[in-house]
Amino acid sequence: MNIRIIPKLDIKNHNLVKGINLEGLRVLGNPRQFAEKYYNEGADELIYHDVVASLYQRNNLSSLIKNTSENIFLPMLVGGGIRNTDQVETILNSGADRIFLNTAALDNPPIIDNIVKKYGSSTLVISLEVVKSNEKYICRKDFGREETNKELIDWAKEVELRGAGEIIVTSIDSDGTGLGFDLNIAEKLSNNIKIPFVINGGISSIKQIDQLLNVSNPSGIAIGSAFHYGNIDRDFVKQNSLDGNIEFLNKKQKYRNFGKLKIQAIKKHLNKKFKSN
Amino acid sequence: MRSLFNLPKEVIFCSKCVLSNQRPASIPEFLHKPSREGARYLEMKKIPGKKNYICDACQVSEMKEKINWNKREKELEKLLNKHRSKNGNYDCVVPGSGGKDSVYASHLLKYKYGMNPLTVTWPPILYTSYGYENFKNWIEIGGFDNITFKQNGRVMKLLTKLSIQNLLHPFQTFILGQKNIGPRLATKYNIPLIFYGEAEAEYGNPVHELTATRDKSYWQQKNLKKLFLAGIPIKRLIEDYKLSIGDLKPYLPLEKSEMKNKVEVHYLGYYKKWIPQESYYYSVEHSNFKARPFRTQGTYSKYSSIDDKIDDLHYYTTFIKFGIGRATYDAAQEIRNKHLTRGEAIKLVSRYDGEYPDKYLDDVLNYLGLKKDKFNKLCDKFRSPHLWQKTSNGWKLRHTIY
Amino acid sequence: MNDVAILNFNMGNLFSIKCALNYVGLKAVVTDDFEVIKNSKSLIIPGVGAFPEAMKRLKEKKLDSAIYDCNEKGKIIVGICLGMQLLFSESNEIKKTKGLNLIEGEVEKFSEKKSSNTKASFNVGWNKIRTKKFKKNSSYVSDLDKKDMYFIHSYYVKPRIQEIKTSTSFFYKKEFISSVKKDHIQGFQFHPEKSGECGIQIYKKLKINLEYKK
Repeated sequence: MNIRIIPKLDIKNHNLVKGINLEGLRVLGNPRQFAEKYYNEGADELIYHDVVASLYQRNNLSSLIKNTSENIFLPMLVGGGIRNTDQVETILNSGADRIFLNTAALDNPPIIDNIVKKYGSSTLVISLEVVKSNEKYICRKDFGREETNKELIDWAKEVELRGAGEIIVTSIDSDGTGLGFDLNIAEKLSNNIKIPFVINGGISSIKQIDQLLNVSNPSGIAIGSAFHYGNIDRDFVKQNSLDGNIEFLNKKQKYRNFGKLKIQAIKKHLNKKFKSN
Repeated sequence: MRSLFNLPKEVIFCSKCVLSNQRPASIPEFLHKPSREGARYLEMKKIPGKKNYICDACQVSEMKEKINWNKREKELEKLLNKHRSKNGNYDCVVPGSGGKDSVYASHLLKYKYGMNPLTVTWPPILYTSYGYENFKNWIEIGGFDNITFKQNGRVMKLLTKLSIQNLLHPFQTFILGQKNIGPRLATKYNIPLIFYGEAEAEYGNPVHELTATRDKSYWQQKNLKKLFLAGIPIKRLIEDYKLSIGDLKPYLPLEKSEMKNKVEVHYLGYYKKWIPQESYYYSVEHSNFKARPFRTQGTYSKYSSIDDKIDDLHYYTTFIKFGIGRATYDAAQEIRNKHLTRGEAIKLVSRYDGEYPDKYLDDVLNYLGLKKDKFNKLCDKFRSPHLWQKTSNGWKLRHTIY
Repeated sequence: MNDVAILNFNMGNLFSIKCALNYVGLKAVVTDDFEVIKNSKSLIIPGVGAFPEAMKRLKEKKLDSAIYDCNEKGKIIVGICLGMQLLFSESNEIKKTKGLNLIEGEVEKFSEKKSSNTKASFNVGWNKIRTKKFKKNSSYVSDLDKKDMYFIHSYYVKPRIQEIKTSTSFFYKKEFISSVKKDHIQGFQFHPEKSGECGIQIYKKLKINLEYKK
C-alpha cells in the first residue's frame, strides 16, 4: 500500500499559520499558494484545518476550498470547529471530499454515527489530538485547549466502532518541533486499531519516517512545519498587507532546520523501500 | 453610584482594544494601601470629533509604529559595548524564571550580543510542574548561570495571605520580590546593568514613562519606615506579626545608603520590538520551552506566565476588583500587536474573562490556610458596586464590552 | 445545450467534478432535472456513500429513468466510484440491493483479512491502474498504464463479462477491476477529478469524445 504524504495547512482567516504544540499563530503566507506548490510537487492529499474555528465557533474555509477545487485536483480533508451537519454540507459542497471532527465528537459521540449514516464512513475522519500525561496519552479538544479524560486507544476504538472511516492522530508534544512523531503512539495505534490512521506532528526527515515505519503502518503521514518553512514567499508578503503575527515573515530568517524536506524525496525513498510490493 | 478604591465612577472602554478605564496603572507596591488612595487608572483620551475613546496603551502603541528600530538597536549596542565584560565577569543581570520573555532576553544578550548575563530568579510561590521544567531547561539547555533566591517560606506565606486578605492581591509578594531581586543582586555583585523584558508603559502607564530605564523610585526609597506591605504599614506589620526588618527586606526596595555602585535598569523592549508570541517561538527553539498543556483559565492562550499556580488567582482578583480579567489583558495586547481584530478579542473576552480558577485554587488555598467559602466571601467584599450587580444568577458585571 | 450533466442525488463531490470539467473546457451543470439531463450531451453519475441509499434516492427523484433514457439514446455515460457501481446488477452493501443493471455483474466488499498488516477493508489512497492488458477495449484510460489514481472505497465490481474491463488495480494482494467500458458507458472506481493531472487526462478524453460525436 502506498503511504499518502499529506501536507497539512493550518488556517486562520485567510492565512496559513503554524504553531508549536498547537500554540502560536505565526503567519507563513497565503494557503492557496502553498497548496499549489504541494500539488505540483506531488502531494497525495491536502488537509485544511481552521485552527481558530472552535475558538470563535465558526468554520471559515468555504471560499478557500472552492478556490482550491478549481485547479488543484487532489483529495481534500477539511476540519476545524465542525459541529453540525449544516457545516458538513457547506464544506462538502465547496469541493472538500472528507471532513474531520474532534471537539464535536468528544462532546457528543453519536454525531459520528449520524454523519456516517448520512454521508458514509469514507467521508468522515475523526481527529485525535493527544498529550502525554503520566505515561498515558490523553485526548484534548478545542485545538489543544481543553482537557478530557479520554485515553487515546479507548477513544480510537470507540470511534472505530461508531463507523469512522479513518482517524488522524496528532501528537501535540511533537507538533511543530521537527523532532519526529511519538513512536509509542504509532505503535499503540498499529497494535490496536483496524481502520486506517494518519499520523501528524513532528516529522521533518526521512530518517524519522523510517523509524516510524519500523514500528507502525500508518496509511498516511501529515506534515506541516517541515514543508511550510521551505516554501515561504517573502515577496508575496511585501506585496500584500497581511494581518496576524507576521513578525517572522518581516524578518529574513529561518526557523530551526525546517524547509529541507521535499515531497518527491520522501516518495522516492518510500518507493525504493517498498519496491517488492 | 459608589465606587471602591478610587476607581473612576464611569466605565469607559477603549474603542481600539478591549481595556477599560478601570485598569490600574502600575504603582510601587510598597505604597499600596487598601484604599488605593492616590492610585491612578488607565487614562482614556477622547477621539476628536467622535464619541469614542482611545486608551493610553493604544496611544503608546501607535507611537511605537513610528519607532526607528535600527536607531534603537544602535543605542542598545552602544550601551552594551560600554559595559561588556572583557574578563569573564558578569556584565548584566537578567531577572526571570525561564518563561518565554526571560529566555528571549537572556539568550539574545548572551548569544547575539556577546554579553555575560547572570540570570536571577525569584521563584514562583507554587511552581507548576511544566513551569519548573521550563526553568530547568532555561538553565540547562539555554545555557545560563543562575542564582535563585529561595525565600523564607514562612514569611512569604504570611505576607501573601495578608495581601489577599487586605488587598485581594495574591501576587504582591511575587511582584515585589521579582522587582527587587535584580537591583539587589546587581548591587551586591557589582554588575552595572539589569535587563527586563517589556516596559510597563505598554500596559497602560502614563505615556511619559516610556523610556529605556525604570524609574528608580521602584526599587530605591529614602525611608523604609514609611512603606506598606500587604497593605499594612511596616511598623505595624513588624509589631503585630513578630517579624523583623530582615524578614521583610527581600520585599522592600533598596535604601539609598545601600546603593554604592551605579546600577541601571533597562527594558529590552525599548530597544527591540517586543512580540510576545515570537518570544514563544524563540524560547521553544533555544531552550525547549513548553507551553502549558491545556488552556490557561481565564484566557485563551497557553504560553504566558504559566509557572506559578497563584497566577490564575491573581487575574481572577483583577477581574473582581476592576472587572478586567486575563483574557482582556492578553487580547488587548494582541490587538496592539495586530494579531487579533477587536471583534475577535471581544469574542475571546466574552468567552473566557473571569473564569473561576478552580484548577489550582485548592492548592493555593491549602498552601495559605484559607477556606474556600471564606475566600469567596472575601472576594465579594472587593466587588465595587459601580461594577458589580447581584442577580438571582449570581454576580454580573454592569458593564461589559460584549 | 450542456456538454455534461452531473447527476445530483446529493451524494458525491459534485463541485469538484464540475471544476474538473470546466478546467478542460467543458460546459457542465449539476442537476436533478430530467429536462436538463435530456438537453445534455453526456451524463456523469458521481457517488460517495452507500449503495442502497443511492439507489433509493435515484428512484425517488426518478433519476433512474433519466439514466435509462440517456442509455437508450446512446449518450456517453460516465460512472465514478459509487456511480460506477450503481450501473451494475446488484450489490450486497448493507443489504442486497438491485442496481441499474446497465452492466451485468455484482458489487462486493473487500474481505477483511486477519493478518495484522491490513487495514480492514477500506481502500483509501493512490494505486496504479494497469491498462496494458485491456488495450483492445479502448477507453479513456488506455494510455494511462501504470499511472496512479486516487481510490476511496470498500466495495469493488465483478462484471459477468470480462471483455468490458479496461484496467485493474491492487488492494494489498487482491487484484480488482478499477475501470470498465461497455459501448458508450465508462466507469471508474477511482476519482479522476482527484487524481491530479493524470485524472484530468480522462476528462480531456471525454471532451475529445464529445467533439467526435458531433
